[in-house]
Amino acid sequence: MAKDLFVTCCFMAAFALQSSAFAHDVPGKPSHVMSDDPNAPPSLQMESQVGQYHLTLIAFPAFLTPDETGTVNLYAMRVDDGQPFFGEVTFKVRNDSLFSSREETIGTQQIHGDHYSQDFVFEENGDYIIRAEFEADGESHAVDLPLTIGTPSSLGTIGVVIAALLIALIIVNLVQRQRLQRVKTMPQHANDQ
Amino acid sequence: MNEWLNEYLFSPFMLSSDGMMAHAGLPPVWTLAVLCAMAFSAVWVCRRQPAAHAPSSVITDWRIRGAFSRWALSSPWVQTVFRLLAAAIFLLAIAAGLWGSDIPERNLATTLTWTIWWTGVIVVVYFVGTAWCAVCPWDSIATWLVRRRLWKRGGETTSLGLRVPRFLRSVWPAIIMFVTLTWFELGWGITVNPYATAVLALSFIVLATFSQLLFERKAFCRHFCSVGRTIGAYAELSPVSLRPVNTDVCASCKTLDCYHGNEDIEPCPTHLLMGTLHENRYCTSCGACTFSCPHQNITWRWQPHRVTEVGEQNLNSPEAWFILALVSLTLFHGLTMLNTWDGLMRGLAAWINPGGGGILLAFSAGMALSMLVPFALYAIAVRSTQALLPEQREFKRLFSFLALPLLPLAFSYHIAHNLTHLIRESQGFIQVLINPFGVDALPLSTAEMHSRHMNPLIPNDITFALQAMLVAVGFYWSLRILQRRIRLVTETPASWRHFSPVLVIVVTTSLLSLWLMMQPMTMRM
Repeated sequence: MAKDLFVTCCFMAAFALQSSAFAHDVPGKPSHVMSDDPNAPPSLQMESQVGQYHLTLIAFPAFLTPDETGTVNLYAMRVDDGQPFFGEVTFKVRNDSLFSSREETIGTQQIHGDHYSQDFVFEENGDYIIRAEFEADGESHAVDLPLTIGTPSSLGTIGVVIAALLIALIIVNLVQRQRLQRVKTMPQHANDQ
Repeated sequence: MNEWLNEYLFSPFMLSSDGMMAHAGLPPVWTLAVLCAMAFSAVWVCRRQPAAHAPSSVITDWRIRGAFSRWALSSPWVQTVFRLLAAAIFLLAIAAGLWGSDIPERNLATTLTWTIWWTGVIVVVYFVGTAWCAVCPWDSIATWLVRRRLWKRGGETTSLGLRVPRFLRSVWPAIIMFVTLTWFELGWGITVNPYATAVLALSFIVLATFSQLLFERKAFCRHFCSVGRTIGAYAELSPVSLRPVNTDVCASCKTLDCYHGNEDIEPCPTHLLMGTLHENRYCTSCGACTFSCPHQNITWRWQPHRVTEVGEQNLNSPEAWFILALVSLTLFHGLTMLNTWDGLMRGLAAWINPGGGGILLAFSAGMALSMLVPFALYAIAVRSTQALLPEQREFKRLFSFLALPLLPLAFSYHIAHNLTHLIRESQGFIQVLINPFGVDALPLSTAEMHSRHMNPLIPNDITFALQAMLVAVGFYWSLRILQRRIRLVTETPASWRHFSPVLVIVVTTSLLSLWLMMQPMTMRM
């Protein structure tokens, strides 16, 4: 009886924990938050420990389209006593691209309850990185969250691949044809002489 | 208490300490069975003389499988149909990755690549050898682009046909690619990124195509492809291989069409001569030799228990390093799926860079350490063996020579680990096949995740039994290969005592594999 009760409690505890479980979270990558509430929009979350603070950055909805308003919340709790950080947090955004380093400040926010909240709207499809920054204990703290807006065009990747392959195929073909022609004409020259 | 512990550990799912879903590890009863089997095999192998070569049979002579093999070898068209099918599925997966849903468990690119193919391809190596390479879409698409023929030999203008430069003429490029692929898979998180998975697949096509354009035959398959080299290494332990029916026919052959090809059929893509072939390592099962042989002397052979033959094989230094990389990286896979790994990496990241970030740096450091420790321990074991041997032996040669017994350990653990992914994470694949782009799909709900855990493809008891058997068989094969190696290494009588450092490595690796199998494994997606 005691055993059955213990196992039942374990399962109930497991289900209670499960309701806030995340999909497998690879270090450094965001995870989709699971929710049993079908009306709750899926969100993106990044957790990190920076200095003395445990930071959680949540953006929702997870799958945004251009001109749709999204919100990013930052929870900054001290590791030692669990107290939230009180101060100002600056939210910035930049393109997640090798070819662009332009960064814009979205806004600076005060604490609201136990977190800092910032709304944002993107006008174009693409990959972006949202950064939350604040100063505490004389040190700067920052956490990044990669975000994809809409469906970025994949024609660029495909185009580069196909173009590179086509160019290489044509070049090799031409080089080999010339080489074969040279080889074929060589004995003829020798005979002419 | 024990009864409860068994029941608890037999449960099909559990939650890790940080609330993430995890697969239950091997229960204590199976662990005990494996330990007993290991102890028994150690005594058995140490007391017995090495067995003679196992007999083999020709598969095409068999009634059922033989009929399939004869049909498959009847014409290049049969193989071409399979290649076309594999390439079509592959291109669909790329399209899904590029234009489909971002949710990894709803996209064909991530589910097919990481949950079905990359786990399944290792599991089936034992039964079909290197057959995957015969229908590999990377090579198929590259060959069609370069040769511009479906199966016939390409024209003279299609490739520059250069010799592979000496510095690339080994499996070192494959080792580097294997390490890079593992870093992307476990560190960067490509397994949960459909777009990146598609880009990776495309980059493999580009590499294979450029390789065929520049170099003679298929340098990509022989030197660069980490998947092909992994399959090739494991296929040494597979009972299935392409071999001559009668070696005397090959000995008297003057044309060597298997090596040079003929008017219609390509030459062997990896420079193998069938008459003298004893290893499966570089054979891609492309069947060119069977189609070109004027004597119809090449066919599929079935040779179970070929560890004695494997124990006599020569390994060069890069091939030995490849086996060591296989051992360390397969164990590393298991390590990263432990509950404690995430916390460990976050702690290391905070230590490396207290200002935040640095998680990938921490992962890279963890991965490097996980590879360096086995290498260092193995090197120490070889050096100790060198000191114990009655005859003076060169360290480098001994280093290559003694790596082979570790191959079955990597293979058995790799299959046992992959079985967990394949059996417990592949439910729902039919839904993904129906909706490969994941249109309007939502992330996996908790209820679905729970349902998947509760309904694995086969019952958990069978999975545990298979995993326990694999770890035990891997250890037994490893000992058998080491036993054969001991006989070959020296003219003077050598005994197990001289090789005890390597034996320690074999036992330690097996116990580590067993321990990893016992741990709850974090669900991938």
